[in-house]
Amino acid sequence: MARIELTGVQKNWGAVWGVRDVNLDIADEELVVFLGPSGCGKTTTMRMIAGLEDPSEGEIRMDGEVMNDVDARDRDVAMVFQGYALYPNMTIYENIRFPLRMRAVPKAEQDRLVREAADMVELGEFLMRKPAALSGGQRQRAALARAIVRQPQVFLMDEPLSNLDAKLRQAMRVQIKHLQRQLRITTVYVTHDQIEAMTLADRIVVMEGGSIQQIGTPDQIYADPANTFVAGFIGSPPMNLIPGHTSGGVFTAPGIELKDIIVTGERAVTLGVRPEDCHVEPGAADMHGAVYGVEPTGDVTYLSLRVGPHNFEVKAHRDYRANLDQPETVAFDSDRLYFFDTETGDRIR
Amino acid sequence: MASQRRRRGESLFIRYIILVSWGLFCLAPVVWFLSIGFRPRTEIITPQPIYWPTFSLDAWHMIWSDWPMAQYLRNSVLAIIGSVVIDLILAIPAAYALARYRFRGREDIGFYILSTRMMAPAIVAIPIFFLFRNMGLLDTIWALMLIYAAINLSVVTWIIRSYMMDIPTELEDAARTDGASDLRILWEIIIPAILPGIITAAVIAMIFAINEFLFTLLIASTPNAYTLSVALANFTGGSDGVIYNAIALVAFLAFVPVFLVVVAIQKHLSRGLTLGAVKG
Repeated sequence: MARIELTGVQKNWGAVWGVRDVNLDIADEELVVFLGPSGCGKTTTMRMIAGLEDPSEGEIRMDGEVMNDVDARDRDVAMVFQGYALYPNMTIYENIRFPLRMRAVPKAEQDRLVREAADMVELGEFLMRKPAALSGGQRQRAALARAIVRQPQVFLMDEPLSNLDAKLRQAMRVQIKHLQRQLRITTVYVTHDQIEAMTLADRIVVMEGGSIQQIGTPDQIYADPANTFVAGFIGSPPMNLIPGHTSGGVFTAPGIELKDIIVTGERAVTLGVRPEDCHVEPGAADMHGAVYGVEPTGDVTYLSLRVGPHNFEVKAHRDYRANLDQPETVAFDSDRLYFFDTETGDRIR
Repeated sequence: MASQRRRRGESLFIRYIILVSWGLFCLAPVVWFLSIGFRPRTEIITPQPIYWPTFSLDAWHMIWSDWPMAQYLRNSVLAIIGSVVIDLILAIPAAYALARYRFRGREDIGFYILSTRMMAPAIVAIPIFFLFRNMGLLDTIWALMLIYAAINLSVVTWIIRSYMMDIPTELEDAARTDGASDLRILWEIIIPAILPGIITAAVIAMIFAINEFLFTLLIASTPNAYTLSVALANFTGGSDGVIYNAIALVAFLAFVPVFLVVVAIQKHLSRGLTLGAVKG
């Protein structure tokens, strides 16, 4: 239940830069996901919000109040960690109660709140066990209960699902989203998994090299990427990015020729096409390639085409089958083409 | 198949032979001083070997009635426990700082602490004697506690530090965001998590302390502060000559408690002795 503002936040350790000039306004009750590869600065940014790291520059505010000099334990944020970080010597009950005890909540109240939180994550029957006696999913739920038990101003979740297997991850994802909506607590969630980001977020903050690349709703990030990094990071399989050249409204790259494109003049341009915006059609003129691999998954077949020196991913019909090196022609949805400046990586609109 | 099985059986047999021989080899001194301790003095000094000695409690009675053995034992126990308590009180916060806080010269300070262990004790023996004399602590078990604590502090700090470094920092971050102060984190999270390490360090300190001889001899001049290790020396001089069976029994008394503790915690002990060289 707090608004979080980051203004010009930087973090460096001597010459090593962690985070550069982050400006971000997180609304009350919003769920914002920091998304990026490892080392992009997303965890560092979150740790600065938690108060576990001091920013080298800039301001962090919660509900308008500057938090830079407020100690982590006085910030009223609760954090969930990748490694669960349950206290191994305490039972699950004692783990969940720990933050209440530290904040001197009355004893009778403590017991009620612990049981409530445990019920919310369906851990009621495991309260007297030690963390070592629980499975990974149960431990993660215990960590979640410890975070929600005191109804903090802000939830911070640092890759909470990455130690779980795929099936459990999906179930926990839904549970986290449900809890966040139910409790209406402002949440920052860090992940490198774009599926998690897309499914959970109200807004996604894509980070790379310590800087924010783009902020937007999942739909905006997917449909309207700001640069090649965002385009290539979101989507599974990711967007095809083919460097080429434009001249007189025509884009050319080995095996590809597109007429009447939006880019004018003569320059080096990178074409971006999502695999689902391509159609395998006999006699289509946009792209010529040879079959490199076919991967049927049941509901869809992924086709990998060798086009010039690049591999190009196409989402084909589930019945599609082909032989190796068989020539294919592909048509693109002309209103779903993206062009980027090859030099800077920025989108050309 | 059958021959393979036989070969495996043979190799297992050979392994047992080697282990049993090694065990007997290690146990031999213990058996030897027990056998000396419980035979009459005359049987010890005969030149002919005696394969089946007479069982005798002469020495046992002697060490308890002619010497204040209970007092020596009490001194040893108090000095050792006191020194271990001092070590833990000083070493745990120091180890935490060395393991977790980032400050200039952290590694240098850590190494400096360890380097106190590298000095030959005789070098500081005389200064320490004068130091304790000026403090009026000569011939007291307080002095023994302090000197044992000083000798072991470096090793205890390093062992505890190595255990602390293995604790994920996430645990402390979690406690901090949960609202715990540094002292709370140390007391409620870190110490319980490294309890095996603390016990190991304490036992290693105990073993060093019970074997300490030089400084004890220097500080203790009457039964007031004599410990078992110095008491042993009492049986070598004097008008009675060397009283071997008494020496054997006192050595055994000093050996048994340490042996029992080591057996109880041997799983942790090997780790503690590597001083964090191999991180788990």
